[in-house]
Amino acid sequence: MAIPLLFIITIISFAMMRMAPGDPTALMMDPMIKQENLAAYKESYGLNDNVVIQYGRWLGNMVQGNFGESLIRQGVPVKDLILARLPNTLLLMLVSTIIAFLISIPLGVYSATRRNSKTDYAITFISFLGIATPSFWIGLMLIMVLSVHLGWFPIGGVANIGEPFSIWDRLHHLILPAFVLATADMAGLTRYSRSSMLDVLRQDYIRTAKANGFRKRTVIFRHGLRNALIPIITIFGLMLPSFIGGSVIIESVFAWPGIGLLFMDAAFQRDYPVIMAVVVIASALVVIGNLLADILYAVFDPRIEY
Amino acid sequence: MAKKKFAWLSILFAVLLVVSACTPADELPDAEAATKPDGGKGGGLVLATTAAPTLFNPYYSTDTSSSTIEGFIFSGLVTVDHDFNPEGDLAESWEFSDDGLRWTFHLRDNVKWHDGEPFTADDVVFSYNIPLSEDYVGPRGLPFEIIEEINKVDDYTVEFVLSEPYAPFITITAQFEVLPKHILGDVPIADLGKHKFNTKEPVGTGPFKFKEWREGEYILLDRNDDYFLGAPKLDSITYKIVPDTNTAMAQLQVGEINLAGISPEYTEMAEDLAQKGKIELSSGPSNAFEYIGYNLRNELFQDKKVRQALTHAIDKEAIIQAILGGAGTVANGPGSPANWAFNPDMPAFDYDPEKAKQMLKEAGWEPGPDGILQKDGKKFEFVLKTTSANEIRQQIAEVAQQQWSEIGIKTSIELLEWSAYVEQTSPPNWNFDAMVAGWSIGSDPDPTWFWHTSEIENGLNYNGYSNPKVDELLSQNTQISDLEERKRVIAEADAIVAEDQPNTFIYYVEGYLAKSPNLHGPEYSSANTYYKLHEWYID
Repeated sequence: MAIPLLFIITIISFAMMRMAPGDPTALMMDPMIKQENLAAYKESYGLNDNVVIQYGRWLGNMVQGNFGESLIRQGVPVKDLILARLPNTLLLMLVSTIIAFLISIPLGVYSATRRNSKTDYAITFISFLGIATPSFWIGLMLIMVLSVHLGWFPIGGVANIGEPFSIWDRLHHLILPAFVLATADMAGLTRYSRSSMLDVLRQDYIRTAKANGFRKRTVIFRHGLRNALIPIITIFGLMLPSFIGGSVIIESVFAWPGIGLLFMDAAFQRDYPVIMAVVVIASALVVIGNLLADILYAVFDPRIEY
Repeated sequence: MAKKKFAWLSILFAVLLVVSACTPADELPDAEAATKPDGGKGGGLVLATTAAPTLFNPYYSTDTSSSTIEGFIFSGLVTVDHDFNPEGDLAESWEFSDDGLRWTFHLRDNVKWHDGEPFTADDVVFSYNIPLSEDYVGPRGLPFEIIEEINKVDDYTVEFVLSEPYAPFITITAQFEVLPKHILGDVPIADLGKHKFNTKEPVGTGPFKFKEWREGEYILLDRNDDYFLGAPKLDSITYKIVPDTNTAMAQLQVGEINLAGISPEYTEMAEDLAQKGKIELSSGPSNAFEYIGYNLRNELFQDKKVRQALTHAIDKEAIIQAILGGAGTVANGPGSPANWAFNPDMPAFDYDPEKAKQMLKEAGWEPGPDGILQKDGKKFEFVLKTTSANEIRQQIAEVAQQQWSEIGIKTSIELLEWSAYVEQTSPPNWNFDAMVAGWSIGSDPDPTWFWHTSEIENGLNYNGYSNPKVDELLSQNTQISDLEERKRVIAEADAIVAEDQPNTFIYYVEGYLAKSPNLHGPEYSSANTYYKLHEWYID
């Protein structure tokens, strides 16, 4: 299922990309540049051919693992650009996923066990506020307060330039963008884990456990939480696309050199091979994420076997 | 079980942390760099760009970021000072024959490439022959077309023979830096544009040596101790890539970058920072003008009187005050006060809506029942295009729309994303009625590019403007080697263009440069921001 899906995604993306007006030479506006030179440039990259032929050529190369060369960064293979940036994006996504889970699940559980208490209402209120607030805005606010005014965090980047590698330095740069990227899903995740936990707490086996005289904590964490987590794992798979989409925005707010930022630049510059490479990788990530969620589901839920 | 999973996760995390730290060039900073203080506070110049450079080879790159960095790594035969006056760089002196056809450059004999090889006339001959080669695939063929031959007279003398006298030639020698023949001489010219020299290991004669380009993050250059004008005082240059101007401004504010050009949208904020003592600002006329251009292929705009009336309806001074916070001067015609060829006495069509109405009436345009001007049953309405990439131009479009509506002209604004905007307005489409746009002028003020009839079909004369007298003057201008005489000719041509108003010229841009208070040397200049860069220092 995954392969034909990827294939269809590439066709649609390629078509949309080429339907957009403009081309890579739009950035070369200069009286000292002759139209003939630009035409020769386009010719040398095969941009004058029929779009279907261009797509076929691109697809043929891609299945052999060749993403071609950047049209803007002449002579630089797209693969190099992607490899330089993909680890940054994956790191950001991984850390923000961890943050999202670490914060949301305890909040959700806490909310569920103290249903209709003041704390529950407060958490619910904050969650809805979180859902309603765009993450780029949160990012800009945090930069303004924590970085510009208080100077606690660097303004963007992945590490201090010209300094040797240090985990602390990397974390220092990572924490704000990862947190902000996490906020996008944190709110929803809190709501999910709350309702999932509430469902579980109503089950007979919880009542049985309570009746057996287990301590409240044991009941909630051993019997309740483990079962409540199962539906949340599915959510993890569904969250991936929003993480990838969100990373484009967060990366540009925090000057985080990942593939999201690469994609945005490439889109404005009409660097077709780079756009396509990112599309393929992002779609593959989503497909893999869903697959992973299915597998995890089977691992956590003994009732499911493949 | 759960513990094991967590262990896996931490390993994955650690691997990613390390992997993302070590790409693309798996290069640990050497001991010297490691002991250097942080970029903002030590001896390093830290700049930021929102547009990543593409490659470092002046014969192939076309963007500003690349050419700025090329200027640090390479040297040209000549350079220009703060006022566009040519000054020797690799060439100590030069002269040209009386007919203006033969240019002889006397080169310095103490220049070394970054790899220690000596620089000679061979390098110059090699470099300038690149765009002349039949195999050359690149954007820079045009300026070299007038070069007939390049001769090495001796190791330190080169001679250029031109096919016709061409006054702007000297600025070409400033723009196109010299490349090392001993490295690139054996590379087929067809492959030069994609050679790894351009992106991975450029070697030049300039004040700074290429050290590292980290994809999407920064370009790092180190001081060239053997620089022929003396070792630079700055240790390094870091050219940071940031996604937008907001980030750049925030970094400037906290000192993470210490030099930045300020775009017009941010002058107010910059002035505020300057008042707080966080930055120092300098400013001056930028070599550019902004305008509303009319497509003269459109019947509406073919009458000169109508175009003049359209200009009378626009309050330029108000635009400058309200939109630019005063950072500009009213423009009556083309050119820029930043360069020597500027004509301060061009015909002016000042803000006067009553006169505009009067002139339109004389041209046959009368208000219709709906208040919109009509002529022969046709309404005066058109589309004003501009790009969403430029906020200032969007606002100018809105003001123009408003002010034209007051004299009975209906316009609708169409905002286009940059690439689409360029495609629609440029040859061969010219798909616009009117557009808010701007031009930057090159080191040489030759206006041929904008107004000569020969530039309509493929060039920058998007308006489709054609005036035989202007053509004649412009054709003359590049053949005159006497500066005063040339200035007079350009001034005359500019005045005629101003009278014809193919554009409503709105304002001459004022440029701003911000620097950290502890950085000494930089000063705003539209000609050469990095003039005498090797003398800059940080205390």
